[in-house]
Amino acid sequence: MEFPKKITVIQTAIITASTIIGTGMLTIARRTVEFGDTAAPLLTILGVLVAYLSVYVICRLGNWFSGKSIFQYSEDIIGKWLARFFSLLIIGYLAVLTALYAREFGAVVRTTVLSETPLEVTTLAILIIVALSVRNNITTFAYIHHFYFPLILAPALFISAVSLKHANVLYLQPIIGNTPTNPMIGILLVAAMFQMSFILTIVIPAMRETHQALKAATWGIIMGGGLYLIMVIATVAVFGSEEIKTLLWPTIELTRITTLPGEILQRLDAAFLAVWVTAVYTTIFSSYFLCIYGIKQLFRFRDHKMFSFLLLPFIFFISSLPRNIVEVYELIKVVGMAGLIITLGYPCLLLVIAWVRKRKRKKGIGGSVDQYG
Amino acid sequence: MRMKHNKPRKIRKMKNSKVIKAPDQMIDEYQNKCIGKELNESIDLIERLLGVNDDFTIRRFHVFGKFKAAMAYFENFNSKEDVQETLKSFMYIPRHLDHQKIEREELKDILFNEVLFRADIKIEEQIPAILQAVMEGNSVVLIEGLNEAFLFGNRNVDKRSIDNPDTERVIRGPREGFIESLQSNLALLRYRLQTTDFRIKSMKVGRLTKTNVALCYIEGIADPRLVEEVKDRVAAIDIDNIADSGYLEQFIEDNHMSPFPQIQNTERPDKAVSAMLEGKVVLLSDGSPFALIAPAVFAQFFQTVEDYTERFIMGSLLRMLRVLALSFALFFPSFYVAIIAFNPELIPTDFAVAIASGRAGVPFPTIMEVLFMEIAMEVLREATVRLPQQVGGALSIVGVLIIGQAAVEAGFANPITVVVIALTTIGSFATPAYNAAIALRMLRFPLVILSGIFGLIGLMFGFILIMNHILSLKSFGIPYLTPIVPGNFQGMKDSLVRMPLWKMPKRPGQFHPRNQDRLGDDIVEEFNQEQSNPLDLQGGYKRWDKKNGVSKKDNSDPNSDHNS
Repeated sequence: MEFPKKITVIQTAIITASTIIGTGMLTIARRTVEFGDTAAPLLTILGVLVAYLSVYVICRLGNWFSGKSIFQYSEDIIGKWLARFFSLLIIGYLAVLTALYAREFGAVVRTTVLSETPLEVTTLAILIIVALSVRNNITTFAYIHHFYFPLILAPALFISAVSLKHANVLYLQPIIGNTPTNPMIGILLVAAMFQMSFILTIVIPAMRETHQALKAATWGIIMGGGLYLIMVIATVAVFGSEEIKTLLWPTIELTRITTLPGEILQRLDAAFLAVWVTAVYTTIFSSYFLCIYGIKQLFRFRDHKMFSFLLLPFIFFISSLPRNIVEVYELIKVVGMAGLIITLGYPCLLLVIAWVRKRKRKKGIGGSVDQYG
Repeated sequence: MRMKHNKPRKIRKMKNSKVIKAPDQMIDEYQNKCIGKELNESIDLIERLLGVNDDFTIRRFHVFGKFKAAMAYFENFNSKEDVQETLKSFMYIPRHLDHQKIEREELKDILFNEVLFRADIKIEEQIPAILQAVMEGNSVVLIEGLNEAFLFGNRNVDKRSIDNPDTERVIRGPREGFIESLQSNLALLRYRLQTTDFRIKSMKVGRLTKTNVALCYIEGIADPRLVEEVKDRVAAIDIDNIADSGYLEQFIEDNHMSPFPQIQNTERPDKAVSAMLEGKVVLLSDGSPFALIAPAVFAQFFQTVEDYTERFIMGSLLRMLRVLALSFALFFPSFYVAIIAFNPELIPTDFAVAIASGRAGVPFPTIMEVLFMEIAMEVLREATVRLPQQVGGALSIVGVLIIGQAAVEAGFANPITVVVIALTTIGSFATPAYNAAIALRMLRFPLVILSGIFGLIGLMFGFILIMNHILSLKSFGIPYLTPIVPGNFQGMKDSLVRMPLWKMPKRPGQFHPRNQDRLGDDIVEEFNQEQSNPLDLQGGYKRWDKKNGVSKKDNSDPNSDHNS
């Protein structure tokens, strides 16, 4: 058994941020503009706030039931079998999410850099790399996120900063949007992009200072959300909302118009995509890890390593289900929205039930020591 | 893949084996037996065991002309002068004992306390211990009627002089290196660390070689659990031969399958001492000029002594340069392959034209070209390491001509490939630690192949795989990338950059030293004090808080205008 209490506050914040920042980096601008027009930055902020709600709930639950993850404390709250059913649902959902992330990665790589490599090869390659690395324990999991974080942050920030010379402030106005079609869906979509912050549920029990989990998670959301916001602002300011609607991956277009000072590299898109691999990797890594960690805790195994390659064929199978990139994005949209019920609704439900039960017990027995306190 | 480091277990010896008994096995029969009083019997025993050796000598003589005795030793292993000295002190009756009658019972005490003026003398009665002592180079003296033997440390093995360590040269810094002899090495350490806290624990490892291994640490700084763990891991080794400290390293490291060294080796006593002062443990093995430093983190492998002896800005810049060279050595060839083969649009147009014209006559794909050249370069490097110096010059000419010019002219390689390979090779030589450099040099090949398959994405895949492996490594429980990941503030001051010595008041935290304080409390205060400028005649002479008067109007300058 590993000694779990090792992850620091900074590492927790970084894990949250680097898990959030993933494939969404390429599409968030299009997604928000589709539903909110020039209100895209505003939608992003609102989406982050919705996502923060789920993070808040998870942190409260994590503090309340210290040392336990959602797979464990849900059994205390709503009973063994119902909780197991929900846990299984979460695990299945995470497997689908992992598969879709990998598929999306494969599609991007296929379209932009490796046009002759079959899509399945790239998808399988990243899945194998992730499956190899989820065999580590949770401490190394934290180290891996910690190490890649600068690599995720720096290029995105750099490209946003350099692209500013093409920016036009008029494209950002009006802030509330010209004719936003369906801002609610936009907000939920952004929130769905943040739902991998669900990883906190297994990170918090492994933290050294559990009571600072909320602080760490808040910083994580600020870093992740801040980066997304910057990218949305930069993309919208450079292309304008109408243009973005026709671009599949606006961020890649953004990198195409930027050049390095000194002209070491003529273009940046391929180089940016190469570094973007780490962002995708950390996200898939988190979801895969959470998935097999959930299986481990659900079935009360002592080790999660066994499942890493056991799960691989299933995830690969799911990832090859969609027929084309359009279907992938449709699926991501639907699954993401549905996932909000699991990652936002379910923890809220748990919190409310736990709270009610606590109240009841206090009234009933009167001043007895709280079991979970 | 972690090997269990158990405490040593007694392994049952096979009793009734049909193999002809070697003396070593015969000694086992004498376990816990003492030597008898009969001189002839004892001599017979020793003669039977060791007499086959032509260099084994038994010299019979009489102590004080009365008591029969014999001295046994290996004549090439003991120095002649020492043996003669020893015999002399046995045979001469000292003046103060001249007319005294010496009884056999008190002979031992008289000899030990009054006659034998030798420092390294031991009295031993167990037969195996006596034989082992002879094998270690002691001369043994047996006396009729005594059931104990005198052992004299007369060993004489030629050793080379202490000189500049070849693997870790410095421009500024101490020039002495360890040699093969353990005694000399320990003396070098004691000389640099004159504190009562310095501890040396010695062990014997190797069933046949019985190599002396010394575990050195500083009490009160090194974590006792670390010392205990290292000791246990060394004690668990059961092998016949420890030819070098490298053998020890391979038995006590944490991950046996990793290409990365998890224990540092050094030839420099000063480096060993500073490592101990950081809370690490140093292992020396007899017959090896390399000391092992455990635990080791990755950052240690691109640090040199010079980073500390020179001023901190220079040291920091050199360190960053080395990291750059290191990443060049690892990634540059694969980056080149990925760009040329998959993303030529990344190259600036003018340069792309140059590359295209260079590649015009080359029949192979870039990846093959790079792999060929890399392998040729590795072969060349390996050949130069092994060759005697006289031939080395010829080889370098061949290397330069064949690999450089002729390969290009023959249309075998693109000139830019040659440049890339050269940069890579130079980069890998800039890493001070040979074993870390070679690990990265070898990892370059899978990276080239990966980027030949997946382009830049493949390069990133390779990078992620390598980094994940490094991140999962641990040396005695310390994550391999500390102090960067996980961060340690005190350690980070001395990692990629080296902060000024007075900015590092604590020892690096990742090794969990018991005693944290490196600097005194008021050192920074002293730094901040106004400095005295004894030679600045205009400024007056002020030292710390003592003012030696404000300067006079003529500034004490006899040549001043104000001399009235």
